Amino acid sequence: MKRIDCLRALAEVAGDALVVTSAGANGVEWNACRPSDGNIRCRTLGLTCSIALGIALGLPKRKVIALDGDGSLLMNLSALPTIANKNPPNLLHVVFDNEAYESSGEIKTATSFGTDLVGMARSAGIKNAVLAQTVEEFRKAASEALKGNVLTLIGAKIELARAEVPPYPMDEVESKYRFIRHVEKTEGIQILKIPMPASFQKS
Amino acid sequence: MAGPSGPKLILEGLKEAGIDLIATVPDINLRELLGLVEADDRVVHVPLCREEEGIGVCTGAYLVGKKCALIMQNGGLFNSVNGIVSTLIQFQVPLLLLIYYAGDLGDRTFSTTGAATEPVLNALGIRSTILREPDEAKDLIRRTQILTMDYKRPVAILLTKDVLGRRRPGE
Repeated sequence: MKRIDCLRALAEVAGDALVVTSAGANGVEWNACRPSDGNIRCRTLGLTCSIALGIALGLPKRKVIALDGDGSLLMNLSALPTIANKNPPNLLHVVFDNEAYESSGEIKTATSFGTDLVGMARSAGIKNAVLAQTVEEFRKAASEALKGNVLTLIGAKIELARAEVPPYPMDEVESKYRFIRHVEKTEGIQILKIPMPASFQKS
Repeated sequence: MAGPSGPKLILEGLKEAGIDLIATVPDINLRELLGLVEADDRVVHVPLCREEEGIGVCTGAYLVGKKCALIMQNGGLFNSVNGIVSTLIQFQVPLLLLIYYAGDLGDRTFSTTGAATEPVLNALGIRSTILREPDEAKDLIRRTQILTMDYKRPVAILLTKDVLGRRRPGE
């Protein structure tokens, strides 16, 4: 199973979900499958699912997807009990597991020696944690999670393979502003407030 | 008669500054403050297992309109450094950091952690103020929140045992 095929399947069912991707090929491939200002690419190994948790808590009625990797989640395992404790029903946490630090020289991760991230998620208290072994299983699990209202983690064992896709189209600061403006527009809320200059204040 | 405790004034100050999501990691000296945060219905409390998670949670919540604070010990600041640099500073995300200053002058625990605290904040370019007087808490929090929102970088307040009501005789 290839990550790009899972991402194409996810793009068909993701709707207007806000999506946080991990550093590396994951975010670039996702943005090629579903280009949107509602995507944001994490730059700190591990923080993808924590950023997604913050978004899910801040917008409890909006679907939020974290597209994580095994190396990334292994760096931030303490996030699993935190997510389980807050139990946001609008969060789908996807963990693509290629058993390697793909962007860091393809060195093996702990999952290549048998560490089971889906099992760890379940033990952390995320009851709906499932393993997808085919693209069809992945599509079905993702579709159910996005239609339903239960915190879900999907683990997907994938090949070590990158797809031919264009580079990420912007830097972090532009990405931040575009994401916030997208949320303002689609949620009908104001987030960024610039105060009037002092000269406008009535004395 | 003594006025409201430091922790009460800190939480009131946070709410008056518009803070509506608080992520925390415990320390014995933060116990009263964290108890008040947990009991308050007007703020979303996110108890963390490790401080760097809080950098992510507060960033995500900021992106969708929440105003956040992260409360932790200074050892937790050290745990968070990669997230502070490659998420908060790199994306220009404001965040109010309330850091218990273990190893402060007269504070007989973690003097090594205390010695590294201000140099680490300075190296990261994080502006910080030490809060000692409970009656200065609300005004300092209000002004620090304005600064972090305008500066779009994290800004820190170092909480001493004095303000947390935990200073023992002779310290």
